[in-house]
Amino acid sequence: MNVSNNKSGSGKNAFGALAYLVIDDFENFRLSMRHMLRSCGAENIELVANARLAVQYCTYNHVDVVLCDYNLGEGKSGQHILEELRYKKLLKRSSLFLMVTSDASREMVMGAREYQPDAYLTKPINHAMLETRLGSLITQRSALLPINREIDRENYPEAISLCIHAIPRQPRYKTWLMKTLAELYFLLGDLTHSIKVYDEVLRQRELSWARLGHSKILLTNHNYDEAIKNLRRLIAAHPDYMEAYDLLAESLERQNKPRQAQDILERATDHSPNALLRQIHLAELAEANQDMDTAVRAWRRSVALGAHSIHDSPAYHLALGNTLCDLSEGDTGTEGAQLASEAFSVLGNMEKRFSDNDSLALRAQIVQCRIYAGQEEAHKAEAVLDKIRPALGNPRALESETDLDYAKTLFRLGYGDEAKTLLNDLATQFFDNPTVLKKIENLLDEPVGFRMKVKARRLNRDGIEAFESGNLQEAASIFTKALEMIPDHPALNLNQVQVLMKEYELDTANKNLLGLCQHYLSHLAGLPEQHGQYRRYVALQRKLKALTL
Amino acid sequence: MKNRNIDFSMVLALAVHDMKNSLGMLLNSLDELREESKDTLNNSSRFNTLQYEAERIHNDLVQLLGIYRLGNNNLSAHSEEHFVPDFLSEHLARHTSLLNGLGIRCSIEADTINGFFDADLLTGALNNTINNAIRYTRTQIRLTANERNGHLVIAVEDDGPGYPDNMQHTETPSFKSLDFNTGSTSLGLFFASAVAELHSEGDRTGFIKLHNSGQLGGGVFEIWLP
Repeated sequence: MNVSNNKSGSGKNAFGALAYLVIDDFENFRLSMRHMLRSCGAENIELVANARLAVQYCTYNHVDVVLCDYNLGEGKSGQHILEELRYKKLLKRSSLFLMVTSDASREMVMGAREYQPDAYLTKPINHAMLETRLGSLITQRSALLPINREIDRENYPEAISLCIHAIPRQPRYKTWLMKTLAELYFLLGDLTHSIKVYDEVLRQRELSWARLGHSKILLTNHNYDEAIKNLRRLIAAHPDYMEAYDLLAESLERQNKPRQAQDILERATDHSPNALLRQIHLAELAEANQDMDTAVRAWRRSVALGAHSIHDSPAYHLALGNTLCDLSEGDTGTEGAQLASEAFSVLGNMEKRFSDNDSLALRAQIVQCRIYAGQEEAHKAEAVLDKIRPALGNPRALESETDLDYAKTLFRLGYGDEAKTLLNDLATQFFDNPTVLKKIENLLDEPVGFRMKVKARRLNRDGIEAFESGNLQEAASIFTKALEMIPDHPALNLNQVQVLMKEYELDTANKNLLGLCQHYLSHLAGLPEQHGQYRRYVALQRKLKALTL
Repeated sequence: MKNRNIDFSMVLALAVHDMKNSLGMLLNSLDELREESKDTLNNSSRFNTLQYEAERIHNDLVQLLGIYRLGNNNLSAHSEEHFVPDFLSEHLARHTSLLNGLGIRCSIEADTINGFFDADLLTGALNNTINNAIRYTRTQIRLTANERNGHLVIAVEDDGPGYPDNMQHTETPSFKSLDFNTGSTSLGLFFASAVAELHSEGDRTGFIKLHNSGQLGGGVFEIWLP
């Protein structure tokens, strides 16, 4: 053998200068890893058996190299440890995190969305393998240390000039240097230089990371069509390149194509079901698209994945409870009852899991009311409502989300006026917050369950179609049906008024039609000025006045 | 009797996955055992056989999984830039203890160049080739890497009897040509050739080449990557 020995002379010193942490649930493996590390020249080696001890150790000690088994049995995995260490900034960029896997399984590599290890080591590992692999990583680490140190200090301009300086001198690390350089320009907001770097790489070779970076800049420059075209090609060539799906979904959303964005994320989660943040994104999109079946599936998965993740939040549990409640509403059969009971247990588990968060009991009860109501258990619903009413009902310093959800419950239990008062107060309080105002508007426009919402929306579309093809009477009767479900919906009322006005133009003797127009417009008497339909409302009011004269 | 709809290839893949992990543990233990009792085991041909055959099964299983993913169109190459000499020495390190045990000399002659390829896939393809070389060589194995006609060419040479005539071609071996009677199923070559084809750049794709005109006089396996 003339290969692995030629480096060990200098390698021994390099190994000896660093602090190591080995994480594995098998004692045998920990000991054998320590044995191998020692014979490479390492001295400062700590062994731990689980995630809790690993995070604890990194909190109080400096670690240069983490060797972490991916599969740690029940509980947190190696990926969770990596996320937690990076999220809590317990690991510097200049440290090395090596994930030890029993195979280079793609699903695992793909699971991660944000945090990736510096390298994967595939079992079985022998001494010679560890020495060469870790040796070259350590050499790389020390070669790039000055740059990583500046990045850790957030001194990006200095890091950039170090990268530029190193590119001709360190051809071995050219990919890393180019990638880092482009990312640093991006961080500084210098998109022109960033895209230049990506393009230079792409001129020589079609590399997926460069194509992704290039697309990201197109997206940041609002060049959505080009970004989408680039990313679709990238995914066609590399169906398991998950970051491309995430970016494509984001581009489609920005282009206001939420349905297509959802399809892309569904494909991504089929490939790689273990990325929590991607599941959450999918759940939110599906919910916005009123696709409750998909939303429930994605929220279920998110809650399950959150169990061991640093990113877990009660918001996901609430969202799951909420969507299950929506789906069970009005279905008193076996399936509905099952969904309702799942919703109850999700909320119960949430309270137990986040027991230090006092506001959650209230949030849970607000949803519980609606679950009972949806299962036609009005007494129980009223009983819970009576319990929570004193704590709610007038806008306080609580989160707007709590009030919005409470208003939803009030609508569902038939206290529409109370809900409207609450929402109006809330709108005054949040007059300068467009996100909250939009949510209030949506709730006031369509204060019904999602099934009815979907039906009403479909009727609205059919009505418009009938109107456009000249079937005025059919259009009017379709809009009437939709308005029976959501009588206060501004766009729907205005659509109906337009149909009736058109009918009147063809039959000016029928003054009755004008009376009906007045009737529908009066539904919108309290429409606030900032509402999206307000200008149309004023215009039609004026037109009606002119016709009546 | 209810007709159960079992996806047999999926069941197989899961079973293979499990076997492969077990074998990984076994190989790990073998390595440790050799380390602990160097003096007695390094000359034990039975121990070498044990390790060689376990390694071989392990490779076969890795390939089976790879081919399963290939069949599901779930396998694609993620080319990254690698410093070729480092890649080859890291790769060879995996086989060091067995090579030493068998008394086979091994050398790397790689130009100091960077190559673009998917390291995981190429490792899978080369493992099999090296194992094959270990089986057929007499005294030594040579790994080379250089650039030819705009391709990165990685070659594994041995000083054994060489490839039979009917195997010396560059076409893709297909499943149809796999011959179970000769005992040589060429599964490894099929996989290596699939890995080569997953690597493309512009309109060029990778390929493999087998011949007997190397420096050592035995078989030469070449993988050409654009």
